[in-house]
Amino acid sequence: MTATAEAPTKAGEVPSFDVTLRIQRMDPDGTPDHPAGEEYWEEFTLTMHGTDRVLDALHKIKWDVDGSLAFRRSCAHGVCGSDAMRINAKNRLACKTLLKDLNPKRPITIEPIKGLPVEKDLIVDMEPFFASYREIMPFLMTSGPTPERERLQSPEERARFDDTTKCIMCAACTTSCPVFWTDGQYFGPQAIVGAHRFIFDSRDEGEWDRLEILNDKAGVWKCRTAFNCTEACPRGIEVTKAISEVKKALNTGAV
Amino acid sequence: MTEHEYDVVIVGAGGAGMRAALESSQRAKTAVLTKLYPTRSHTGAAQGGMAAALANVEEDNVEWHVFDTIKGGDYLVDQDAAQILCEEAVQAVLDLEKMGLPFNRTTAGKIDQRRFGGHTRDHGKAAVRRACYAADRTGHMILQTLYQQCIKQDVEFFNEFYVLDLILNDDPQSAEGKDVAVAGVIAYELSTGQIHTFRAKSVIFATGGAGKVFKTTSNAHTLTGDGMALALRRGIPLEDMEFFQFHPTGLAGLGILLSEAARGEGGILRNSEGERFMERYAPTIKDLAPRDVVARAMANEVREGRGCGPNKDYVLLDLTHLEPAHIDEKLPDITEFARTYLGVEPYTEPVPVFPTAHYAMGGVPTTNNAEVLRNNHDTIKGLYAAGEVACVSVHGSNRLGTNSLLDINVFGRRAGIAAAEYALTTEGYDLPADASALVSDQVEKLRATVGGGGTERVADIRRELQATMDRNVQVFRTSESLAEAHTLVGELQARFKNIAIHDRGARFNTDLLEAVELGFLLDLAEVVILGAEHRKESRGGHYREDFPTRDDKNFMKHTMAYKTKDGIRLDTKPVVVTKYQPMERKY
Amino acid sequence: MSTADATTPVVEPLRPIRSGRSRNHAEQWSWLFMRGSGVLLLVLIFTHLFINLFSGDGVNQIDFAFVAGKWASPVWKIWDFVMLVLAMIHGGNGMRLLINDYARETWMRKTLKTLLTACVATIVVLGSLVIFTFDPCPLDASGDLLPGVPTFCEDVR
Repeated sequence: MTATAEAPTKAGEVPSFDVTLRIQRMDPDGTPDHPAGEEYWEEFTLTMHGTDRVLDALHKIKWDVDGSLAFRRSCAHGVCGSDAMRINAKNRLACKTLLKDLNPKRPITIEPIKGLPVEKDLIVDMEPFFASYREIMPFLMTSGPTPERERLQSPEERARFDDTTKCIMCAACTTSCPVFWTDGQYFGPQAIVGAHRFIFDSRDEGEWDRLEILNDKAGVWKCRTAFNCTEACPRGIEVTKAISEVKKALNTGAV
Repeated sequence: MTEHEYDVVIVGAGGAGMRAALESSQRAKTAVLTKLYPTRSHTGAAQGGMAAALANVEEDNVEWHVFDTIKGGDYLVDQDAAQILCEEAVQAVLDLEKMGLPFNRTTAGKIDQRRFGGHTRDHGKAAVRRACYAADRTGHMILQTLYQQCIKQDVEFFNEFYVLDLILNDDPQSAEGKDVAVAGVIAYELSTGQIHTFRAKSVIFATGGAGKVFKTTSNAHTLTGDGMALALRRGIPLEDMEFFQFHPTGLAGLGILLSEAARGEGGILRNSEGERFMERYAPTIKDLAPRDVVARAMANEVREGRGCGPNKDYVLLDLTHLEPAHIDEKLPDITEFARTYLGVEPYTEPVPVFPTAHYAMGGVPTTNNAEVLRNNHDTIKGLYAAGEVACVSVHGSNRLGTNSLLDINVFGRRAGIAAAEYALTTEGYDLPADASALVSDQVEKLRATVGGGGTERVADIRRELQATMDRNVQVFRTSESLAEAHTLVGELQARFKNIAIHDRGARFNTDLLEAVELGFLLDLAEVVILGAEHRKESRGGHYREDFPTRDDKNFMKHTMAYKTKDGIRLDTKPVVVTKYQPMERKY
Repeated sequence: MSTADATTPVVEPLRPIRSGRSRNHAEQWSWLFMRGSGVLLLVLIFTHLFINLFSGDGVNQIDFAFVAGKWASPVWKIWDFVMLVLAMIHGGNGMRLLINDYARETWMRKTLKTLLTACVATIVVLGSLVIFTFDPCPLDASGDLLPGVPTFCEDVR
């Protein structure tokens, strides 16, 4: 199963090492060895380099060993949000996780993100996740006549919600949340982050519509401040803090 | 097979596709087909900004922007189109702000602006602050904002639908003056493997670029030129494909983009001697020269032995003289890229960079209303293209930084309006009974290769294609390198006929689609190489060492490449010149 | 020109809210109650522990007479009653959240919550009865004071 397509190490090149990936697989169509829908583990040992990311290893498997391995990816540098997965039991982006940072001496386990239905290998059904996002009305709501030029906003007002504008909707936070795992009704951290971005935007006037939605029994009060989401966020958003700010707004009535 | 019927079908949900959808869905029944999820589109990777002469922070005007765009494109820009681009830029930025885009702000609360390569005051006197930005994630904010507006308008998306064929009512290469119109598209649904037919009165291609023909690229894995290749295969010409932009500052060895904003905010390029070498190549605006100039300068430094690192194969982007707080505020993401991927701390160490394939200036030729041209005069009724897939041509032979986010908004909007308005005036054309035959056949043949049949691997062919393109068709090109690439791509095309895939499954068969995408890349690589071989001059992003100067007498015209039974046929199209006569391009 | 600026202030939700979504503020009150009662319980419990286990002779002093002596004062009766009620509701509400999180089947959730409510109610009722019907000076069959009653019982008699 070892795939070594690259030439031997030249002077100045990054050193290579062997690494084993233990991947949770599931084929909805079934394979000769595994009936349709069965989840099983498969190991692959590869020779990789110091600058390689988990995504590079997955590609190496897909391209050189087993083309049926299914996972989503696009930009490959952590801005499109396609390749969130559970790597060594933590939610991360495969394209942002360097193999050398994972202790390649031990097998690296890779599973699909939890709490969403698995469709094939590392691909999950994202629809429930996006449905929650759509429910919090994630768009600017304003009243009154539209100004001819831009709406004014001070740098301080702009900074107020900067953190939550960074969200790439990879679902790493939502699918790391223990409440979301057991209660699919919960909006999940991402939808709250998405709402936070507008609630604290000085130009927006829909904050109470959104806060009312998040006051729901599947809303912010479900959050148990486990901080898994903050730890999982590949963009470094302080998710739990954002959720707390929404709770505070609901309790104090002030945004 | 499932059949659908819409007034307007938009292929692609990046910036251009969603901007078009916002217009079109207000006017007509619209579907957006995307091979990803909308928020995954590569518009989100754009960093630096969106140009518009708002004059919020210093004197600026639309005319200067027009001039910079034309000069930046080395006079291969259609000047009427550039005029539209720059005039509508101001409104395009303001529209986005009103949709909620969180631009960075001046102390007065207006949209802040910063300097960017090639954007100058008063026809080249000095760099001007013209790029409206949101930190170094302007594209991300545009993509998010447009998606949010699509949610608000309840735009209908078909996620993870790969459009694999375009159906026209007639051959686009038939005689001039004859009506050729669109009938619909055929799509493959990733989650089920099912084939869907979409009858549409209008179709908008907003499928993005084709950066994956190169190995070192800032482009996403999914940017395989699907729209361009489908158009080409259906007899529609491609314009100016030889012009590919190499962004100067890709992370060395990886190609991950570090925005030009790094230099706009004061970053400096240095060679192994620590010299600010851009002073020699562009004495007036130095590091903020257009991308083709900077990329060539960098490649030249490396070639002349002044590269850095153990292999002397990159130069350094120096931000160490900037305040860490300033870096954090203006360039947070790209500095994180340097830390994550190279382990370099930009506060204290310069970042290794080298040019990376970034943007296709060429594409499907369109009019200023985004209508697709089937020759130099006739449009295809109901077919539109916008964004990187299209060639209006506002970028000529080299696009200025921040003009692409502008392009997708201005021409995405125009395409959306035009497509919907046209759809309301026509009954459209019925799809032939066997409309999906080509796609079904292609998919079935590929499935049949599992465990037998072909002997070639998709990944091997793709790797070889990308390697030869990097080696021979990158910043510097010669007739020899192009000939070598031409031969190799020909061989790869032959080997491609003998491929085998691994995955027989119907659901989420990404293996199969990678094979289809490789087919697109091979077709496009051939067009790029042929155009480059034929253009015996150096202009903008196309630099021929054997013809190092611009030749306006013979080549001040667009290349048009047609796929025919006998291979690719090259033709030309005149450049629209309104007020700026070609001059020597100095910075 | 723009598509987005003709926004009216009131925006209807685009899709029907998922079934079972309530629009009352019960969860907010529950959340606030947990924090409020938590702080109060800290004070109540630690004062209780201090008085019972540290002050005076410490843990050795606790016998029937000590309890009876405390409950002779209405302050301590109310103190312990508040502690009992808050602790039971706080704990019961916590259990309710756990049941919501972990019981997937509706029937299971209902059953567990019914049991929980019954337990909480029973304990609160029994506890209240003990506190408010407590007799510090019980007599034996012959009408004498039982051994171990507080000394003040003699005076009362």
